Amino acid sequence: MTDIIKDSHGMSDTPEEREFELRAHIGSIWSGGRLFIGMYTFLIASLAFSYFYLRSSNNGLLWRPDHVTGPTAYGWAIWSLTMLAAGMAIFGRRRFRKGNSADWMIAGWVGLSAALLALFLQVWEWQKIPFYPGSSGYASTFIGYTIINLLTIAIVVYWLETTLARALRLRKELGGENAEYSMHPSAQSFRANVASMTYFLGFVAIASTLMFAMFYLL
Amino acid sequence: MTISAERPTEVNDMGDGPPDFIAQPKLRRHGLLGQHLGTAIIGGFLGYILGHWLGNYIASGYPYIANSGQNSIAVLLALALMVLGWLIGIGALNYPFAKMLGREAKGEVEYQGWTRYFRYNLDHKVVGIQYVVGVLVFFFTGGLLAMAIRTELLNPTVHVFSADTYIKIVSEHGTIMMMMASSVVVGPLGNYFVPLMIGARRMAFPRIEAFSFWIFSAGYLVIFSALFFGGFPTGWTGYAPLQTQAGPGMISYLFGFAIISIGMMAAGFNLAVTIINYRAPGMTWSRVPIFVWSIIATAALLTLASPVLLAAGLFGILDKTVQTAFYVTEHGGSSYLWENLFWFFGHPEVYIMALPGFGIVGEILPVFARKPLFAYRIAAAGMIGVALLSFFVWQHHLFQSGINPDMRPLFMLTTELISIPTGFIFLVGMGTLYKARIRYEVPMLFCMAVYFNFLIGGVSGVFLSDVPVNVTVHGGFFVLSHFHYTIMGGLIFAFFAGLYFWLPKMTGKKMNKKLGLWHFWTMFVFFNLTFFPMFIIGLLGQPRRVFTYAKNLQTLNDFSSISAFLLGASFLIFVANIMWSQFISPEKSPANPWDSLGLEWQTATPIPIYNFERIPVIMTDPYHYSEPGAPALADFGQATMAASASPPSSSTSADQ
Repeated sequence: MTDIIKDSHGMSDTPEEREFELRAHIGSIWSGGRLFIGMYTFLIASLAFSYFYLRSSNNGLLWRPDHVTGPTAYGWAIWSLTMLAAGMAIFGRRRFRKGNSADWMIAGWVGLSAALLALFLQVWEWQKIPFYPGSSGYASTFIGYTIINLLTIAIVVYWLETTLARALRLRKELGGENAEYSMHPSAQSFRANVASMTYFLGFVAIASTLMFAMFYLL
Repeated sequence: MTISAERPTEVNDMGDGPPDFIAQPKLRRHGLLGQHLGTAIIGGFLGYILGHWLGNYIASGYPYIANSGQNSIAVLLALALMVLGWLIGIGALNYPFAKMLGREAKGEVEYQGWTRYFRYNLDHKVVGIQYVVGVLVFFFTGGLLAMAIRTELLNPTVHVFSADTYIKIVSEHGTIMMMMASSVVVGPLGNYFVPLMIGARRMAFPRIEAFSFWIFSAGYLVIFSALFFGGFPTGWTGYAPLQTQAGPGMISYLFGFAIISIGMMAAGFNLAVTIINYRAPGMTWSRVPIFVWSIIATAALLTLASPVLLAAGLFGILDKTVQTAFYVTEHGGSSYLWENLFWFFGHPEVYIMALPGFGIVGEILPVFARKPLFAYRIAAAGMIGVALLSFFVWQHHLFQSGINPDMRPLFMLTTELISIPTGFIFLVGMGTLYKARIRYEVPMLFCMAVYFNFLIGGVSGVFLSDVPVNVTVHGGFFVLSHFHYTIMGGLIFAFFAGLYFWLPKMTGKKMNKKLGLWHFWTMFVFFNLTFFPMFIIGLLGQPRRVFTYAKNLQTLNDFSSISAFLLGASFLIFVANIMWSQFISPEKSPANPWDSLGLEWQTATPIPIYNFERIPVIMTDPYHYSEPGAPALADFGQATMAASASPPSSSTSADQ
């Protein structure tokens, strides 16, 4: 026989049911994170398809006249900052898993700062584009790339910021207990979220590199 | 610890509740204060005004825009900020903003009373009802436009509309109907019944679920706004270069589809994650109801195909606003790029529409045939097979354009291949009906009609997959008739089967059987009388989207038009049935009026806010009809057994 836990609203759960709900919740964060990557892959693949379709079509020899390129310095800077944000998230999580929450927080804030700067530069880059958006196939897909990259970095910023803000509150909730080792449901949920976020940032690092190579190096 | 058949009996009070994401929802009753549909409308209106002003301010410095009278930037910003205002007004962004301050979900607040249907509600049952109303609004709007089309086609020489207005009506009709059809089952019935069928007490991401509905409704406003911006002349497929040449109404089309695609992704994402993680203990994949299989296959398509539509819409919007040239061949783009992106989404979209219909029919047939679902595993495999193959057939839409002719046989083959798993699903239905003592209730009649209609739609689809036939009948009424047979004859009939079957559970009230029969027979007869002649009209050469035609086709067109008007009238019988059965003369439904073994029927009516008082432990699949000694479906725990008017054992024993 197990107890029924009745909350202040008169509804009830058994401890087993709460554990089931918690497992399902954490599983949802895990599988949701992976599914989100799947969705995002198709979005980015659409851009890549457009790039190669127009490149191979080369209609009116207007794929890329005079081999115009987006502002390379900005491209390098944005890519580097995105990689820094992803790298910090991956490094931070490794430290977090070893119980070093402070390192994770510092890495997280550095990553967030890098992502914010990348976001700013991605917007600013529009001021510096040396071609008209409709001047060629490359020019068009480049504009599309900047929009999708902006969206990607914005998602990274939001996910990092909300996770860091949550970590600050969680410290109070756990009363000083280490979030990595705590069995409190909030801590378990937090760990699952950190894992999914890090996984997504790893994906962003790979996708950003491929996109950077396509638009700035090829 | 795991949940087992051992059930608790002692009750402890616990003032300090669990974290909000596993806590039960808090009940609250609200008046007119707070956020609701009214504030969403105000937010949308203010957003529209602000966006329009902003767009004019930004673009006024460019003479070619100022002089053209067509400021696409103003239209886009007006629509974008309208959607943003709508979402802020309804409260969809409260939680995302709260998260930025590190707050977790504040517990699921469930509003009580009728006002909950006008709010950002997190109860999947409320969202399901909201979707029912939403898709019916879509459906009837598109239906009225269809009446206008058939009115115009009454006579080839005397015209009600100009050619320009006619094509815009056709375009709006097609787009609204396609948007509706992509959500018509997943939205209302998927959201409402999937958690109940898998023994879950909640959705994995209730806020994303609610978001999917409210952005879906915003999508309706956006696409409807096209009429006020002069419409768009491309049909629902939005082909370039016509797309590039069209006026601001095209922005509504592109932005509307982008918005709807976000809603589709959100709905599919939430449903997939819920089914994977929230299945009750004991519900192995081989015990998952066939409707849930259809929903997870659809959810996979929704999450993976919709981003391509989003990208295609984004590129189109960029072409219209910042003058990129994705679809402008003269500037290094390609109009075929749109075709590829659109149909890479568009063909999975066909199965996004078809699969849930098959799921409903597969769920209902055993109930009225009183037989187990025949070859359950093959049905499930067929659905997954269809979902996978649907990504490899899109080029058959380009047989006439934008494809290397040498590639046509490959895509002809993949298209014909997909008829194999589809055929499995069809044969599963036939096997279930074989030697059954069928009860011809209204939901069952709709299911039988699905098989009849889909047979015609499916077989004509096999013809169309063959390049020679496709080349001959492409762009004509034959194609039009084919897809109306599959989408309306399959999906919409299945949707009504589902509504008649599950409404007694959703509302606790019986639908009037006599009106239901009238609705079914008029809809079935006039559907076939409307669309079957179109096969002949198409073979005789009448093209789609053209408001005039050869004089010798007038008799067939008139026959089709009059049938269409009567088909339209058949839906008035449905509306009358809803009004009569649910509001004017409501009659309480028995707890399990069809003697179904489905898990959704085993909980109390009205359904508790948390679905099941105890999480059930599943013992078997729900299709053991007429099987002596069949095991009980699930262990619901003592408390639930007492609360439920129809415990599972009673249904099972009735069959024995």
